[in-house]
Amino acid sequence: MTKFHPSLTRRQFTLGALLAAGTAGWPVFVKAQDQKTIAVLFDGLYSPFWVAGIEALQQDLDGRGYEMLQAISDQDDNKQFEQVKAMLARGVDGIIIVQTDSNAVIPAIREANAAGVPMVHFNRPPAESDAFSVAVQADNRAITQETVKYMVEVARELGGTYKAAILIGNLGDPNAIGRRDGFFDIVDENQDIIEVVSRIPTEWNADIAFAGLTNAFQANPDINFLFTSSDFMFPQITQVMRVANKFHPIGDPNHVIFGGFDGDATAYELMKDKYLDADGVQDLFYEAELAVNAIVDLQDGKTVEPLLLDPGFAITQANFEEMKERMWGYHIYQANQ
Amino acid sequence: MNTAVVQDRQRPNLAWRLLFSEYLVLWLSIAYFLLMIPIIPGIATRTVFLNILSDMLPLLAVAIGQTFVLIVAGIDLSVTSIIALASVVGASVMSGDGGYLGGTALSVPGGILAMLAVGAAVGAFNGWCVTAFRMPPFIVTLTGMIFFSGAAIWYTTFHTETSSIANLPRGFTILGKDGPMGVPNALWSVGLLAIAAHCLLRYTVFGKQLYAIGQNSRTAAVSGVPVARCLILAFMISGVCAAVSSILYTGRLETGTPILGERILLDIIGAVVIGGTSLFGGKGKIIWTVFGVLFLVLIDTSMKMLGLSLFFVLAIKGIVILMAAVIDALRNRVLMSGG
Repeated sequence: MTKFHPSLTRRQFTLGALLAAGTAGWPVFVKAQDQKTIAVLFDGLYSPFWVAGIEALQQDLDGRGYEMLQAISDQDDNKQFEQVKAMLARGVDGIIIVQTDSNAVIPAIREANAAGVPMVHFNRPPAESDAFSVAVQADNRAITQETVKYMVEVARELGGTYKAAILIGNLGDPNAIGRRDGFFDIVDENQDIIEVVSRIPTEWNADIAFAGLTNAFQANPDINFLFTSSDFMFPQITQVMRVANKFHPIGDPNHVIFGGFDGDATAYELMKDKYLDADGVQDLFYEAELAVNAIVDLQDGKTVEPLLLDPGFAITQANFEEMKERMWGYHIYQANQ
Repeated sequence: MNTAVVQDRQRPNLAWRLLFSEYLVLWLSIAYFLLMIPIIPGIATRTVFLNILSDMLPLLAVAIGQTFVLIVAGIDLSVTSIIALASVVGASVMSGDGGYLGGTALSVPGGILAMLAVGAAVGAFNGWCVTAFRMPPFIVTLTGMIFFSGAAIWYTTFHTETSSIANLPRGFTILGKDGPMGVPNALWSVGLLAIAAHCLLRYTVFGKQLYAIGQNSRTAAVSGVPVARCLILAFMISGVCAAVSSILYTGRLETGTPILGERILLDIIGAVVIGGTSLFGGKGKIIWTVFGVLFLVLIDTSMKMLGLSLFFVLAIKGIVILMAAVIDALRNRVLMSGG
């Protein structure tokens, strides 16, 4: 005869087991719908840009009557590949994707092609291949050139020579390459006053950026010209600058000429408080609209160019008041006030 | 009261027997799947079954190796770094973009051998550190994970200007793809690996020695078990299994990347432990690991198909796994009390 633990009856155990098994059925609120569905697959929500991006896509899709299914791969290329296959099995009508690696996403594009489901890359294009998809991307190189050009103008106005540092993103991401190249396009033309003393790889990781910039300031305490390839690292960058006594507003003799890229709410605040000289701005809402338009057009059988460019712009201290309303970070900043 | 009625009262009912079966995780997987059918449109289709199978295989390969290490009361946290390092080393050998053997007939066998060698070497290093310096496997493999993950990134920088190595030969990528009728090609290699691992543990002296070490290494040593050699071999098996997993993941993504597998450590250990293998050693079976992997992949697949926000995915996955663990704990409590 079965014996039981003194404090646990068979009935209690059975009840516990059934309750536990029943918990698996909690997500009953999800129901099948006849409306068209779009899968939005991001590799992470690790910066305000991506959080605002997924919200912009959600709003746009809701407005057009689509159901949005989302999945986050947490920068795991294999998991994202599995997510694409799962969404195709679910029968989605289109996929908007942000991949971690431009090469590793290609098998996922092939799966979508084989299933006849259109795929659009949001803000981050894939590597070249025989697979077909459409990418929406900011003109990273041109926007960075415009941003750094303003920083150089400020440097020339102030006079003297400059030691520069750049925080570079993950070079598996074409956006990071475009921003790096845009920076060097301008700086290399101005070598008479600017010497790049530090190239800091960040892998799009704020902790790595923090450590890299700390080391850079220790090795080169005279860095006075700084560009970051993404605004999401501003909290770490400003912290390092404070510790190194480098965080001073424009007009202060110790001010570091400072530029960034994205156009997020922190960038807006730093511009407003006169710590940031210029920032490359991606038009996030326009990119979301382009991505959804591309999916709809592909579903309708229309021809869509494989690369749709967001021209973006540089916001500077010179045009701040005039351009701030076009900065997506401005709207987020206002909404949070 | 006749004899038949007495026997019927003494015999536990079906649900009770299922709960106390060693196949509990399998029954839970089936129950979970049945619960999901009305919730997720299209989950009970051939495509999804094949997706689940395809997603299980690389994870199962690395989990099999982890089972060996857990049986000897160790743990191997370095497996994810082995997956990453083997991926970029293999890709650097095979790549058509300047790979060491790229474009030659030797590229695929050379690349695969290089990947397996990476796994065996890191595993041997781990085992040697654990036995020679009597260091805890947790510390050895944790530091190994950090070091070899960094080494994978460092190695990649010498072979490409981007963060991954692409243009791998089709003879290699086919290993990670689906074959005839949509059945994953990896089924045969991982199936063989699982059968070999099962036979090794179940029918050989070496297998019995591993269980003995896991139960009490000192007693095992006194009984004549070559503890150091067995431990090194267990870690080497784990390393080679991680390399097999890397071959499948790299082939699947057609890309060697230094962050491959970086996020799956908890899935690997979780699958083995949920299956029933003890974290304290001396207890574990390959079939349990198969069930554990099935359970986790099934949950993952359902979460992917639900398309919920990240918060709900993490919350539901956490609750389901916790509930499975609660059932297992309650079950063990009853069994320990002599039930």
